[in-house]
Amino acid sequence: MSDLVSINVDGVDIEVPAGTTVVDAAMRADIQIPVFCHHPKLEPVGMCRMCLVRIGMPVRDRATGELLKEPDGSVQYNWGRTLQTGCTVRVAPGMHVVTNSAEAKDARDDIIEFLLTSHPLDCPICDKGGECPLQNLTMAHGGGTSRFNFNDKLTNDKSVPLGELIYLDRERCIQCARCTRFQSEIADDPVIAFHNRGRHLEIVTMSDPGFDSYWSGNTTDICPVGALTTADFRFGARPWELTPAATLSPHDAAGENITVSTRREAKSGGRVVVKRIMPRQNEWVNEIWISDRTRFVHHFAEAADRLKMPLVRKNGQLTPTTWDEALTLVAEKLAATGEQAAGLAGDRLSNEDLFMFQKLFRKALNKNNNIDLANKRLAGGDVTADVGIASGSNLGDLGKGDTIVVIATDLHEEVPIWWLRVKQASERGARLIVLNVRETRLDKHASFVMHYAPGQAIAVAGNLLEHDEEVATAVRDADNLVIFYGYEGLSYDETDALARTLGNLLLETEHVGRPNNGLIAVWPRNNTQGVWDMAVHPGLTPGYRADRNPGLDANAIYAGAESGDITALYIVGADPVGDGLMPGRGALDFMVVQELFLTETAQLADVVLPAQSWLERDGTFTNGERRVQRYNPAIQKVGDSRPDWQILAQVIEKITEGSEKTPFAASLVFSKEIAKSVRAYKDMDYRTLGQVVEQFPKVGGDDLYYGGTSYANEAGIGQQWSASAESKKPKKPFDVPELDVTRPAGLVLLRVAALYTPGTLNQYSELLHARMAKPTVMLHYADADQLGIADGMSLVLRVNGTELPATASIQDGVPSGVALLRGFAWRKGLESAEIVKVQTPITA
Amino acid sequence: MIKKSYATEIEDILSRYPTKRSAVLPLMHLAQQEYGYMSDEAKREVAEILDLDPTHILSIAGFYTLYYEEPVGRYVLEVCNDLACALRGADDFLDMVLGKLDVDLHGTTDDGLFTVKNVMCIGACDRAPVLQCNLKFHEHLDEAKFDALVDQWRSDSAEQTSIVDQIIAGRTE
Amino acid sequence: MILEILKGLGTTAKHLVRPPVTIQYPEVKRPVRYRFKGRHELKRYDNGLEKCIGCALCAAACPADAIFVEASENTDAQRYSPGERYASTYEINMLRCIFCGYCEDACPTEAIVLEHDYELSFVDRASAIYTKEMLIVPVPDSGTSTPQQVEAGSFDRAIPDMEDPK
Repeated sequence: MSDLVSINVDGVDIEVPAGTTVVDAAMRADIQIPVFCHHPKLEPVGMCRMCLVRIGMPVRDRATGELLKEPDGSVQYNWGRTLQTGCTVRVAPGMHVVTNSAEAKDARDDIIEFLLTSHPLDCPICDKGGECPLQNLTMAHGGGTSRFNFNDKLTNDKSVPLGELIYLDRERCIQCARCTRFQSEIADDPVIAFHNRGRHLEIVTMSDPGFDSYWSGNTTDICPVGALTTADFRFGARPWELTPAATLSPHDAAGENITVSTRREAKSGGRVVVKRIMPRQNEWVNEIWISDRTRFVHHFAEAADRLKMPLVRKNGQLTPTTWDEALTLVAEKLAATGEQAAGLAGDRLSNEDLFMFQKLFRKALNKNNNIDLANKRLAGGDVTADVGIASGSNLGDLGKGDTIVVIATDLHEEVPIWWLRVKQASERGARLIVLNVRETRLDKHASFVMHYAPGQAIAVAGNLLEHDEEVATAVRDADNLVIFYGYEGLSYDETDALARTLGNLLLETEHVGRPNNGLIAVWPRNNTQGVWDMAVHPGLTPGYRADRNPGLDANAIYAGAESGDITALYIVGADPVGDGLMPGRGALDFMVVQELFLTETAQLADVVLPAQSWLERDGTFTNGERRVQRYNPAIQKVGDSRPDWQILAQVIEKITEGSEKTPFAASLVFSKEIAKSVRAYKDMDYRTLGQVVEQFPKVGGDDLYYGGTSYANEAGIGQQWSASAESKKPKKPFDVPELDVTRPAGLVLLRVAALYTPGTLNQYSELLHARMAKPTVMLHYADADQLGIADGMSLVLRVNGTELPATASIQDGVPSGVALLRGFAWRKGLESAEIVKVQTPITA
Repeated sequence: MIKKSYATEIEDILSRYPTKRSAVLPLMHLAQQEYGYMSDEAKREVAEILDLDPTHILSIAGFYTLYYEEPVGRYVLEVCNDLACALRGADDFLDMVLGKLDVDLHGTTDDGLFTVKNVMCIGACDRAPVLQCNLKFHEHLDEAKFDALVDQWRSDSAEQTSIVDQIIAGRTE
Repeated sequence: MILEILKGLGTTAKHLVRPPVTIQYPEVKRPVRYRFKGRHELKRYDNGLEKCIGCALCAAACPADAIFVEASENTDAQRYSPGERYASTYEINMLRCIFCGYCEDACPTEAIVLEHDYELSFVDRASAIYTKEMLIVPVPDSGTSTPQQVEAGSFDRAIPDMEDPK
């Protein structure tokens, strides 16, 4: 920790770390110095002059260094000739700051008066009105009248779209540069900038599409006026009319904390609808930022084609029915099938759902272990349970002396908030080692980059200590070592070997069992870790205990469905048919699908049960850092849908003829069942998950000007569960299976992630349609020449009989011998697709 | 494409700076000399050469008055009418210039010869009214002197100055 | 004493010949004061555009939570009010309204005015909710009905320029 400096602000003695600015130091003592341009997460600029304070330093004798005294014996202070900006002055020992003197108040009044000379004062129609720092500070400090001539007010363009997502109101801007600084300092996307000078200054963008950044929404949170607003919330409601609900991002493995603002809407027939999604502070997870996908992808939950009634196949047609009939049918069929039943779950489900799912098979169906994750892409949950990042970790603590390894993943596209935090750690001095087949956004911030040949990830990870002296030192001698691994270009079995290899690396270099050390899996979904923890796995029981009679895994279940070995299949929150994992119903007698939408899989089912989306219910997700976090309902249920855990519990109740009662609430599933069965969760319940601690910078409250409009965390920061290496030492190395990782000769196809990939959930957010990644095959020059493919040529990917259109793109960064597939939803067989050129007719 | 047509000049300019982005101003002058003004295309080219975001170039072009974001005439007449100059009659002088050339402020004459702009202080307050034409200062102006200048410009006998030439020549003044 | 009695009877006698003060409501209606606060009206500008910009400050000011506003965005092809925003839904629950007039005070465009209609009676709760169609005044002769198709950029100010009241 850095040294503490003691200063005095308005008569209060406070101790703050050296290097803190006066404004931040005062804020820690709850003394609010008003600011517009200063933001605790950004470097100071001193543009707005709102934070003027009088700063005095004790005077010392130049010769002796003794403190000089006033005649009355008190310390003599040099108060300077003018007021100084508190945001640009760093604290120094003995500093005295006066924030509430008459001259400071006068100065603030004058600054407000100047800021308002060209402000349109159209607060009644401004989306920020009600939570606007300028409004608040004008009420607190403004003089109330203006000495300026009203007719000199400058009028300027209103509602200039900076792209489809963010609107700019040029009149409202007070030129604080928070947005442009956020984009260059934090998001590293300097796609907005100032243009012209003085009163004519305005924010411009030249990127295509406009304001091309995955973080653009955050600028609207930190904008101290209504100059930047989102298109999604535009005129949606006034901030004071909104009801907040604390929940989580359901999109990626980081589990960004969010607050969903809802309001009853006449247009929707009186339903409570989502108006906007805002970040909720959690300095351990997402600080006060969220990516645009988290902010703008929520419309699917309220889509018109959500399933609203249970459906049962009658005379070949799926017909609406009652819950009781559907559940009875499911229970009867499953009970009658017994051993030949199998279950597949998705990794978007909550821990409660997943626990109930395995309970249905293990308990109600008499130790049936034929359950698995439907779409397995990344293995290693058992490894992270042992040597995963230790409890008490915070990526924000990593810095000088620490090392971060990122392998086989593109964090910027997969889990943007991790990209942001890893990038910031590298800026604080952490060494960053990026290993991948291709260039990624993180390369730029890395101290060591290696692009290996496809399939070589395991070898590279295994030889990390031998490959390069500098890298070996960085890894071996790191104070703290965090390793992120993903599945880009790897098969499921290869990711398993990779996770074990990395686990061994951590054990060998003794970077396990203490905070800020360990492995992080870049899971494909929000709760893949929860799938492991709840043991939706044929060979494990809850708490990572091996089962002596392992059941069939997903591949065997798909094969069994085809051959007739499996006769009844229960699928929850997954679409294996759409993902190309399952060709059809095969020889199944009975198939149940529990879903939000009538997916390709659901269309083939005998019973379709409508589930609730994450917005309608509560539950818990476990993120990639194994932090268990809780989310709360925001909107009413759609139709007659039910939460997944409840549906499963009701099936269990019917099969067991009432001996296993349906729990009353998700919180009881957690406290009465999960906490009892899953060792790592034993100290948790909804109350402990809901505990909060004080965080800095403080947000929410009436100091909206300080941290922005991110919501304060009042609903819990979650609990990170201890990896087993934290209590048991030493640990035996993991067995790494020997795999044949050679790739077939010729062009290697490799799917790369894109944040906005066309898919079930994203497609409902019309706002993002223009930004969806276009299906593209990216090629190296040499490969393109050899294949006779020109840049921009139309192609078709033939995957197991399905044809996917794509466009060719010849790019610098693509390694030779590899074709990168971007903008495709994950699909089995995509990476062994056949690339076919489309003969486009030549137009005259 | 200035990248191709001025390859040696760009190389020369880049070699003078420790980091690429420092060369942004001279390269923008180069692009402006080539295209006549900082068109979007010119901005994107400069950005590409320097690995910067085009928005950055746009921002710089907007900040400095010597970068023109609209097509300009052959002679860009920049009259300072800040307070000190205004006290010495710069406003009247500017009106006279606009009237004589029959052009709006920031507009270009129909023959494409003159663009008239007002600018912030150019550091010649003691010699106001002052007019800067393609980097050359004309001081202590009045109507007669201005008429003479216009005749000179129209007859195309005025000395042309190029910032880029000065940069390449390694101007030290 | 007799004098007093006669004086009193005189008053009675005087009133015998006066016209009655009772008004035969509803056939006859008593005029209200200029500042009487009756049912709300949503006003229009002379050109027919609605004054209401959907800012919901009336709803915020309402002590009885009687007002519900939902806003939408104007376009030049479909313009309801000047500026960017208009009220796409505007409802007042007359059972809740206490006719305090705070909504009038809060309105930045003088769109909502408590007018002189006091004849509010309902047979069910739903009919006590007055919608925008019921509240808005008819289009004046000088104007056209909304939405209007207007020239781009002609109405970009939501709030008419107002100088400081002196």
